[in-house]
Amino acid sequence: MKDTLQQLVQGQQGFIELRYHKRTANSFVAQKGRVDVANHAITEGVGVRALVGGAWGFAATADISPQAIRRAIAQAQSNARMLAKVKAGPALILARDRLSQQQFIGPGYAELTQMKLEDKLAQVVNYERQLAAASARMHTARCQYKEILEEKAIVTSDGVACSLKLAQPEFSMTAIAEKDGDRTTGHKGAGVSGGWNCLFKHPSLDHAVEETARIAVDLLAAKYPEGGQKTVILAPAVVGLLCHEAIGHTVEADFVKSGSVAQGKIGHRVASDLVTMADSGCETISGYAVGNLPFDDEGVETENTIIIKDGILSSYLHNRESAQEFGVAPTGNARAWLFNDEPLIRMRNTYLLPGTSRLADMIAGVEDGYLVEGAGSGQADANGEFMFGTGYVWRIRGGKKVELLREATLSGIAFDVLQTVDAVSQEFLWDLGTGYCGKGQAAKVDAGGPYVRCKITVGGEQA
Amino acid sequence: MSYNTDKDVESIDQAAETLEGLAAYGLEAAKKLGADGAKIATSASFQKRLVVENKQFTLANSLASRNIGLLVHKDHKKGSASINTVSEDSINTAVASALALAKYSVPDLTLTLASLSEAPRAKVLPFLYTEELAQVDLVAIQEFMQEVLGRLTSDSRVALDRFEMAVDVSFHALASSTGMRQSERQAMASWSFMGMGRDGEEVTGFDYDSGFALSRGAILAASLKDSDAFVAKLLGLFKPRQCPSYKGAILLTPRAVHELLVDSLLYHAGGRQVMDGKSRWDKAVGQRIVSPQLTLRDHPHDPRFSGATGFDGDGVPTKAQTFVDRGVLQMILHDCYSAKRCKAKTTATSGGPFALEVAAGTSSKAELLRSHKQLLVVDRFSGNADPIKGDFSGVAKGSRLFANGEDAGSVTETMIAGNFFTIAEEILGVSRETEMVSGSFLSPYILVGGVSVTGAL
Repeated sequence: MKDTLQQLVQGQQGFIELRYHKRTANSFVAQKGRVDVANHAITEGVGVRALVGGAWGFAATADISPQAIRRAIAQAQSNARMLAKVKAGPALILARDRLSQQQFIGPGYAELTQMKLEDKLAQVVNYERQLAAASARMHTARCQYKEILEEKAIVTSDGVACSLKLAQPEFSMTAIAEKDGDRTTGHKGAGVSGGWNCLFKHPSLDHAVEETARIAVDLLAAKYPEGGQKTVILAPAVVGLLCHEAIGHTVEADFVKSGSVAQGKIGHRVASDLVTMADSGCETISGYAVGNLPFDDEGVETENTIIIKDGILSSYLHNRESAQEFGVAPTGNARAWLFNDEPLIRMRNTYLLPGTSRLADMIAGVEDGYLVEGAGSGQADANGEFMFGTGYVWRIRGGKKVELLREATLSGIAFDVLQTVDAVSQEFLWDLGTGYCGKGQAAKVDAGGPYVRCKITVGGEQA
Repeated sequence: MSYNTDKDVESIDQAAETLEGLAAYGLEAAKKLGADGAKIATSASFQKRLVVENKQFTLANSLASRNIGLLVHKDHKKGSASINTVSEDSINTAVASALALAKYSVPDLTLTLASLSEAPRAKVLPFLYTEELAQVDLVAIQEFMQEVLGRLTSDSRVALDRFEMAVDVSFHALASSTGMRQSERQAMASWSFMGMGRDGEEVTGFDYDSGFALSRGAILAASLKDSDAFVAKLLGLFKPRQCPSYKGAILLTPRAVHELLVDSLLYHAGGRQVMDGKSRWDKAVGQRIVSPQLTLRDHPHDPRFSGATGFDGDGVPTKAQTFVDRGVLQMILHDCYSAKRCKAKTTATSGGPFALEVAAGTSSKAELLRSHKQLLVVDRFSGNADPIKGDFSGVAKGSRLFANGEDAGSVTETMIAGNFFTIAEEILGVSRETEMVSGSFLSPYILVGGVSVTGAL
C-alpha cells in the first residue's frame, strides 16, 4: 500500500499526507456464564490531509482504489482552499525532524494474527468460569478480551514513507462479591504491545483469578476511608492516571496554546525535585507498555519526551505544526484513531520515572495515612484540578498496612500535589494498559510509574 | 464506492438503496451458511465539518462512511461482525467470521430477535430530515460559525479550545431474518464548544457544551443562544472561593440531575440489571421508589431532542412513555433479550431511552436558591458512583455557592459525597424552570438533601 500512496502523492500541489489504516478489532465479553460479546470488526480506508496556506483540509475514503484516493486528495485540497480564504495568519510551516522511512512489524503481531479467534474466545470463557467458581460469595464474574491489530502506511509529499503492523491485546476481569445485599468489586486488567503470551505474562495478571476474587470478597468486610487531607502512597496505576489526566493533557501543545495552566511554565518548578515525568512512544523502561509506536500518524518517529525534569517543566507534547510554532522538534504525538479521523496531539505511555526509595521503607515512614491501589475513572481540568476514583485502600498506621478499606476518591491541583512528593519508589509498573483516552477521538494509551508518597485530598463523609 | 469530490457524491437515497440490497444479501448469505437467525444493521453518513481551534479556523472536513454490523444465531449461540467496506464479498467474510465465533460461544436458550409482530414498520418522523438542511455546505457552515465565533470571542478572557460545527446526513436501517425491516434518514446540524476562562495567570476549570438543529433556519439562533450561555458560564468561574464544608442540601442543575439522579435511576430500572440480579427494583413496578416529586418520561418522537427516533436497537417502534410517575415505578426498561429472560415484554428501549424529560415542579428556581442559608449549586459531577449501592463521591465542577439566595461566586476543589437512594428520596424541591442539556435531556433544577460537601482543605 505504501508504494501506491507514494505514486499518488507525486506531482500533487502543496503538502499532502496520505494515511492508509486497516484496523481489525476482536472483542469478547463473558459474564454470568454467557457470552455477551463475540465480535470481529474490520475498518479500513485512507485519510488525506492537504495543507493550503494556513488551512488544513481533510477527506477520507473507505475505497482504497487509486481512483478513489485521488478523489479524496482533490476533496481535501478543495476543503483546504475553501478554508484558506477565510483563515487569517501566515502560511503554516511544518517541522521536518525525524520523518520516518521505517517498515515496522511489532512484537506479537504474527502470533495474534495466526491464533484462531475461537481459541481466544474459549480461553476467555474458561477464565470467566474459573472466576465465577473462585468464591461462594461471587455474584458476578466478568472477563473481557480485546485486541487491536493495526496496519498502517503513511506517505507525505515532504518525505515520510513508512509502514507498520502492531498488535495491542488487553484482558480484564471483574468480580462482584455479595453478602447480605452488600456488593463489592475486585478488578484486574492489563494491556500490552505484543502477543497473547506477552499479555498473560504481564505482572498485573499474576494470579489474576485468585486476586480479583479475593479483593472483591475481602472488601465486603471493609469500611470506607475517612475524608480529608492525608499522607497517601499512590500505587503505579494511580500515579499513571495522575500523570496522564492531570499533567499530560495540560502539556499537549494544542491545549497549551488555548490557555492551559501549563502555558508559559517551561523552565518553572512545577513539582518536587524527586519528580521526573515523561511520555514515551518507545518503551524506555520496564516492559509491557501498550502505547508503543515507532512513529506517529504524521510519520514522525517517536521519542521519550521528558515533560518534567527534576521538578522543572521541560517540554510540551507536539505535532509537526505546533513544534514549528514553538521552535522545537516534534515529539511524535500526533495520533488518529481511525482512517477517517484527523491526527490530534495525544499521549502514548505516560509515566513518572522510578526513584530510589523502597516501597517497604515508604510505608514504614507513614505514621497515619493510606496506600491507594487501583485506578478508577479520572478527570482533570485545564487548571490542573483533578478527581480520580481508586480501586481500594490500605490504611497505614505506625508504618504498617493495618486495614483494607473500600474505594476512595482523590482530588487536588496536580502541580500542587506534585510539590508535596517526598518519596518515589524503585518499583515500577505500567498499569493502565486497558485504558483509552478520549479527546473527541479515542486513543489507546498506557500509563504507570513507581509508588509515590504525597499529600492529597481524600473524599469522604462530613459529620 | 466513491464519495469524495462533490460531483461524485452519491445521495443518501442511493446509499440507502445500496445498503438495503446488501442487507437482504447478507441475510440470505447467513441462512445459506447455516445461521438459524440473523440481524443486520446498516448505516451511511455524509458529514461536513469545520473546526476552530484557539479562535482560528483550522480544518475543513468532509467525510462519507458506510457500516454494516451483522449478528448471527446458530444453535442458540451468537457471534457478530462489522465491516466498513460494503461488497458482497466482504459480507460473505463477515457472515463466516460471525458464525465461526458463534460456534465457540456459550449456548443461551434466551437469545432472540424481535418478531414481526413486535416490530412492525415504525412510523416515519418527518422532522428528522429536511432537504434544505441536507444541502448546507461547508461555506454555509463557515458563515454560521463566523457569527458564533464573534460572540464566543467577544470577551478576551474566553480561552476557546475548540469549536466545531457539522452537518450530518445519515441513513440507518435494521433488517432481520424474522422479517423485521426498519429504516430512517436524518439531517442534523450540531455544534460543540470546549474551553476555559483565562485572565493573566488565572485559569478557570474547563467546560463544554453542545447543541443541534434539525432545520437550517434554526441553526444560527440556537447556536448563538448556546454560545452565549457557554461564555456566561466560563466568565462566572473566575476568582473561585473555598466552599465551606457541611452536610445538607445542594441544588442540582439539569446537567447534574442527569449525572447524579437519572443515570442511577435508569440503571436500577434497566432490564439487563434486573436480569442479572443487580437491580434493587426488580419487583418494584407499581411501587413508590423515589420522592413523589420525581416524574421521568421518554419522548422519542419529540423534535426537541437529538435522540428522537422511530425505532429502537431491536427494530421495535418507539413510543412516548412514563418510566416513573410521581415517584412510582411504571415499568422495567426491557429490550427483547432481557424481556425474554424476565418473561416480560419489550418496552422498545433497546439502546434507549432516547429523549428524557424530568417533569417540572412547582417552585421557582429563586425560591429554591433562597431555601437554605448556604447552598452549593452543583453543575457537573466528576467522580465515582457505585450504581449498585448508590454511593457517589467526586468533585462538584463548575459549581457555585449561594448564601441566603445570593450568588457568592464559583467554588474550587469542592467534593460532594452521598447516596443516590438517599437523595432521590430526599427531594426538597423541583423548579418550574427547565433547561435542555446538550439537546438530549430536559430537566428542572432539583433541591436534594443529605449530601456531604467538603471544601478545599
